[in-house]
Amino acid sequence: MIKNLIKKELILYFRNLNNVFLPLIFFFLIISIFPLVLGPDKLLFDNIIPGVIWITAILTTLLSSNNFFRDDYNNGVIEMYLTSSTGVELILFLRIIACWLFTCLPIILFMPLVSLLFDISFEDSFVILITLLMGTPILISIGIFGSALTLGLARNNILTPIIVIPFYIPVLIFSASAIDSVSLGLPYDMQLFILMALLFLILPIMPYLLKYTLELSINN
Amino acid sequence: MEILVNSATCYKNNNIIFKNANIILDNSEICIVMGPNGCGKTTFIKCLCKIENLDSGHILIDNINIQDRKSNYLDNIIYIGHKNSLNDDLTVTENLEYLGAFDQTVNKNSVNKIKDAMEYFDIYKYKDFMVSELSEGNKKKTSLARLILSQKKIWLLDEPLSFLDEIAVKNLINLFSKHQKIGGIIVASSHYDFSDDVDNFKFFKMEN
Amino acid sequence: MNISKIANLKFFYTKTRKISSFLSAFTLILFCIGIYWGLFIAPTDYLQGNSYRIMYVHVPAAWLSMQTYMIMAATGFIALVWKIKIMEIASIQCAPIGAFFTIIALVTGMVWGKPTWGTYWVWDARLTSELILLFLYIGIMVLYSAYSDKRQAIKITSLLAIIGLINIPIIHYSVEWWNTLHQGPTVTKFEKPSAHITMLLPLLYMFFVFNMYFLSILIKRMRFGIYMREKNNKWMEELKND
Repeated sequence: MIKNLIKKELILYFRNLNNVFLPLIFFFLIISIFPLVLGPDKLLFDNIIPGVIWITAILTTLLSSNNFFRDDYNNGVIEMYLTSSTGVELILFLRIIACWLFTCLPIILFMPLVSLLFDISFEDSFVILITLLMGTPILISIGIFGSALTLGLARNNILTPIIVIPFYIPVLIFSASAIDSVSLGLPYDMQLFILMALLFLILPIMPYLLKYTLELSINN
Repeated sequence: MEILVNSATCYKNNNIIFKNANIILDNSEICIVMGPNGCGKTTFIKCLCKIENLDSGHILIDNINIQDRKSNYLDNIIYIGHKNSLNDDLTVTENLEYLGAFDQTVNKNSVNKIKDAMEYFDIYKYKDFMVSELSEGNKKKTSLARLILSQKKIWLLDEPLSFLDEIAVKNLINLFSKHQKIGGIIVASSHYDFSDDVDNFKFFKMEN
Repeated sequence: MNISKIANLKFFYTKTRKISSFLSAFTLILFCIGIYWGLFIAPTDYLQGNSYRIMYVHVPAAWLSMQTYMIMAATGFIALVWKIKIMEIASIQCAPIGAFFTIIALVTGMVWGKPTWGTYWVWDARLTSELILLFLYIGIMVLYSAYSDKRQAIKITSLLAIIGLINIPIIHYSVEWWNTLHQGPTVTKFEKPSAHITMLLPLLYMFFVFNMYFLSILIKRMRFGIYMREKNNKWMEELKND
């Protein structure tokens, strides 16, 4: 059964490869705008590149999770979720994971290229990679929660980010501070552990929360 | 199986959708929900499967309130809404296979049953078409084909006859009679009176 | 069951009409006393001079901004679980009040910051988390206004408030952590006002006054909320005609 569900998710993403490539292209586009605006000062970028990467990652996850349930809502698939006699939590969980796999993982895989572009040291870029690996699933699932909250609305273009971004702050702070610490030569394991704790706290709860949120936002 | 709707009232934005609705449905009965556009047929059917909630009154299925946490009303209900609940990026066959994820009464490895269901509604020729490429009528047929796959007792159908051609309507009504014979309950909204073709029916008339 | 709920709203609406205006007047008097106490009677701080007196507005406002969020989330939780209408109304009406307290806390914090830090704004832990709190309030109000069905909107915003409540300690802790990391040498942390009893008493009194103010505004806003929801209902029309 699980195999079938996973297969369905994979099929859906492979039929719309745009959904996989566009976030990646968007990410690189935004990243390359920063030097154009701030000037190609190497010293400056040594200081701010972790922030730049994380802000870009936020924008990308926001864009890709913004209308996560929109098509399913219009097609009535959400109604099927809510009248399903089997638990849809598993499906929702798989969908979160799939969304992360196809929108965030490509970005993470391309981090070495970003490190080359901005001449980030190996150790720094390794920590950036780790924080992205643990932080982006949290961002994606919070973003999906936000999109479920605004599902009952006809338009929600900028509303979801406004609601969601305050919830991003802890992840951002701990990720940025881990990267800061490693570039200063300080220990950074504590920040990583906190990120991991947040991840393992949020991921198991999220499917149940999502189902409840969908119930509330469909019920109008 | 028995559905009992007791003095059900539903508001939306301070407007009354329906008030003091009462109806009892027993085994093998079909309830035809009729009324003009915008009178709340859809809302009524959605209330029966708790997609929407009543403001007062209650709905009992086998004497258990569906608002009750213990109620497992969803085990018996299949709801096919006005939206077809089909995924646009999957083919007709894949969509019908996907149903198994939401309905435990569907036999998991039922390639033949899916073929039969498609043939019943004459959509087997579209089996590898993406749903987004189908006409509205064929989409409707695809979503109705689920009724054949599922073993659930209570069918809640919102405008099942819309977009269907004559043959498909006849097929669907035959399907209704078959379901009634095994004791199933059907609630179907329609603006077209098909009571001549079915037995053991009840009307539920709604007004604006 | 429903009748008792409507009766509940009606009961609240009719009973609070007099209480509400009495409470407002009472709060105004209390507030004047408190301001006089804080501005003129309380002794001057030996470190900060008279500028510390803004604390008598800033600190209670900051407390109330947090407390209002907690009340909003708690009433929202009750509304979601037990489906009590009056709690739904209380929950959503808390949001603008909380946002108001947050803005007061931020503005007075900035005014206080000028003599203490030399600039109006410092990215200090408390001010920053207060700012994030403001964004949380704004998110809830925007979400509420976006939904056309207000009953559904209240359910959604209650859920958001509850999730936000879980999140606030995490935000607060992380901002504090972030602040200790980035504590630059130019920023001098201002010393906590020495807890002298003559200074502390007016502060506690002002906290009480702010609570009274919160209560009177909440009741006023709840009456307004009940009116907006029930204005088409029979009992409200009857009341209007009386």
